[in-house]
Amino acid sequence: MRPTLSRLGRTLAVGVSGLLLLSACSSGGDTTAEAAGSGKPVTGGTLTTAVDTEPVSWDIHASTQDVTAEIARGVFDSLVSQDSDGKFHPWLATKWEVSDDFKSYTFHLRDDVTFTDGSKFDASVVKANFDHIVAKETKSLYAANLLGPYTGTEVVDPQTVKVNFSKAFAPFLQAASTTYLGFYSPQALKAGAGKLAAGGPADVGSGPFVFSAYTKGQSATLTRNPDYAWAPETATHTGAAYLDKVVVRFLPTASVRAGALTSGQVQVAKAIPPQNVTALKSTPGFQLISRANPGGNYNLWLNGSLAPLDDVRVRKAIQRGIDVEQDVKTVTFGQYPRAWSPISPTTPDYDKSLEGSWPYDPKLSGQLLDEAGWTGKDAQGYRTKAGKRLTVEWPQLSIQATREGRDVLGQAVQADLKKIGVEVKRPNLDIGTYNTKVYGGKANIIDLSWPRFDPDVLWLFFNSGSAPAKGGINATFLTDPSFDTWTDQGRSTLDEKTRADVYPKVQQRGIDLAVVVPLYTQVSLVGQSDRVKGLTFNASNWLTYYDAWLAKK
Amino acid sequence: MTASATALAGGIARRLGSVVAVLLGAATLAFLTLQLIPGDPVSVLLGPSNAGSPEVRAEIAREYGFDRPVADQYLHYLGRLLQSDLGQSYQLQRPVRSLIGDQLWPTVQLALAALLLAVVLAVVSAVATAGRRPAFRAVASVWELISASTPSYWVGIVLLTVFSFRFHVFPVAGAEGFASLVLPAVTLALPLTGVLAQVLREGLEAALEQPFVVTARSRGVGRTAVRLRHALRHCAVPLLTLTGWLTGSLIGGAVLVETVFGRPGIGSLVLQAVSAKDMPVVIGVVLLSAFVFVVISTAVELLHPVIDPRLRSA
Repeated sequence: MRPTLSRLGRTLAVGVSGLLLLSACSSGGDTTAEAAGSGKPVTGGTLTTAVDTEPVSWDIHASTQDVTAEIARGVFDSLVSQDSDGKFHPWLATKWEVSDDFKSYTFHLRDDVTFTDGSKFDASVVKANFDHIVAKETKSLYAANLLGPYTGTEVVDPQTVKVNFSKAFAPFLQAASTTYLGFYSPQALKAGAGKLAAGGPADVGSGPFVFSAYTKGQSATLTRNPDYAWAPETATHTGAAYLDKVVVRFLPTASVRAGALTSGQVQVAKAIPPQNVTALKSTPGFQLISRANPGGNYNLWLNGSLAPLDDVRVRKAIQRGIDVEQDVKTVTFGQYPRAWSPISPTTPDYDKSLEGSWPYDPKLSGQLLDEAGWTGKDAQGYRTKAGKRLTVEWPQLSIQATREGRDVLGQAVQADLKKIGVEVKRPNLDIGTYNTKVYGGKANIIDLSWPRFDPDVLWLFFNSGSAPAKGGINATFLTDPSFDTWTDQGRSTLDEKTRADVYPKVQQRGIDLAVVVPLYTQVSLVGQSDRVKGLTFNASNWLTYYDAWLAKK
Repeated sequence: MTASATALAGGIARRLGSVVAVLLGAATLAFLTLQLIPGDPVSVLLGPSNAGSPEVRAEIAREYGFDRPVADQYLHYLGRLLQSDLGQSYQLQRPVRSLIGDQLWPTVQLALAALLLAVVLAVVSAVATAGRRPAFRAVASVWELISASTPSYWVGIVLLTVFSFRFHVFPVAGAEGFASLVLPAVTLALPLTGVLAQVLREGLEAALEQPFVVTARSRGVGRTAVRLRHALRHCAVPLLTLTGWLTGSLIGGAVLVETVFGRPGIGSLVLQAVSAKDMPVVIGVVLLSAFVFVVISTAVELLHPVIDPRLRSA
């Protein structure tokens, strides 16, 4: 199942993953960037967006990538939609009932929905899609995990389906709101995995846009579905989309994306590099939208099961001996906020009280290391105990280390820790060796970020059920009863009070035990022309094109 | 008659043999690489961005026969290659052969345009400067050295910044129509031009010192005419050989150019495959490159006697 070790080190832009939940598909009203006060929406026009990553597979039921889900959102609808507060709203399902044991969900479906190839959406389509996701031949790398302990779908009547699970499965509504559990038309499903993965007109959904063309290595084109009349409540309008066409260009080179934007060849550019932000902001006719991503921050995870970090005092010394504020500011040109909690401020149940609670304090680090017995000093200035140098190993994978300047940030951390007498070794490993070492618990420090619009991401980080030996990503390598109790409680209920109680406790304990050193919150930096109005972001910070329109020049 | 026919058949057989040997070598190397990558082969095939449930992993292991002895796997793999089955991409869930087929034409277009441009520019530059005033020649040399050694990535961005972002002459990227081919072709051609022109000038200068030049000039043939009609022909063989050799390197150059310009093609396909650790696709492109290389060098070899009659007896 899920995260093999190999994906552990993976980072935000490439994909989201994990056991259960992902992000929502809402285009929440409060997240609208420019909808209000910009005049009356105009119908027509082509919006061209430049993105940095190209989907590897377009099959929403098989892919793991954010970018696939983001672009395909315009083509596929879901049962429910989630707003940025985490609340669920009707979409293809008008209402639903959840059994008390969270083992079955009954959805009442709209009866006016048709796919763009003319076939009707009904209960049998829901069943066909969900069964397709879990079928072995689909080789689903993500959606099957989102379906959790799925046992099957019952067609009660053409407008009613009952989805069943073998165990309590509270996160299902959230999962059902993602693109990954969106619906293909029955004919599209018959076309087979290869056709769906290849993209283009074979990918037929019921969404506001039709996937009309795809040129690998170049662009994807979505064209308006004029008959669309079933927008989710989270959208700001109803009926067909405003734009005639959305063209998504794949431009991996950052300076080319920025140049294409300012020269008017694209109207929106994603992933503007932090160093270009100031220049773009001062260019008339353009604006920059900066939004903190939900989910796990970019954190250092300290392996509490391996010496010398099996001593909480040494871990604490490291946590307080890194000048996070300064290092992050320098490396990210002030564009990414430093983090205080393992999850970002835009994640539900974020614990704000952690802010400022563990400032940089090298003096305290020194005291802690003295207490832990690391009192000696060698010729290079590193602390020693019984003749052994205080050394920690933090392996790196070159493709990941260079993202967002993480290699440079790593050097700053190394320099900070040298000041308190801790040697940080950063061997550069190939992926096979890296996985074996890091997920085998043989490394002292692991760095990783993990986006997801749900505090349940804390389960992945801290629960012993998510131990790397079981295919999880608990890089603390500790089994802690409190962590297990709280994160289990959080995932087995949708009760807001319980969640608001347990999740802050988990964040605090993570910091107290010093098994995590949060570094920064990743931020989506999107540049857009002033002509673009109503472009919205969903809870995962993905662009949503349905409400967008282009003002006349 | 019979003897020459036998010799011809022998020559063809030898060439075919070497083609097969090169391809077999490339295929074996690709297979070995896959074996030597540390870690479980299913994880390597799935790449860093993919998990895969036990069922998916079992399916892949079965499909690739990882449970069987390596020798078995190797023979099975060669057997599939013989049927021109390059396997299936795990990331894209499509046959590698059709992926490469779809992406081939844009790259061929780009490569041919760049090659043509490079040869024309190199010939013009060499003919214009060979054996002329030293200052003139030095300027050309320096320019060629710079163009041969400047990273094409950087050249591409500079060209885009000037001609696309500032003056809006060409579109930023894509493969729609002639206009979108100009900047990528120039970017890819520049380093080739530098190398070709340098070699060509050396050859021209050597040829211009030959007695036949004096003879031709004494018959009243003009300076430029003697270069074009006589001396250039002398340099044709090395120029052809070098061009053939450089053509093989165009796929490598295309990786960068296609990425910068957001063009479809083999280059962007292989870049995506490498970063997603999509080994079946990478192996497919390696085999394609080997094939192209062999075909071009064979063609160049066959053309030598056509261009230079002195080689016919050899």
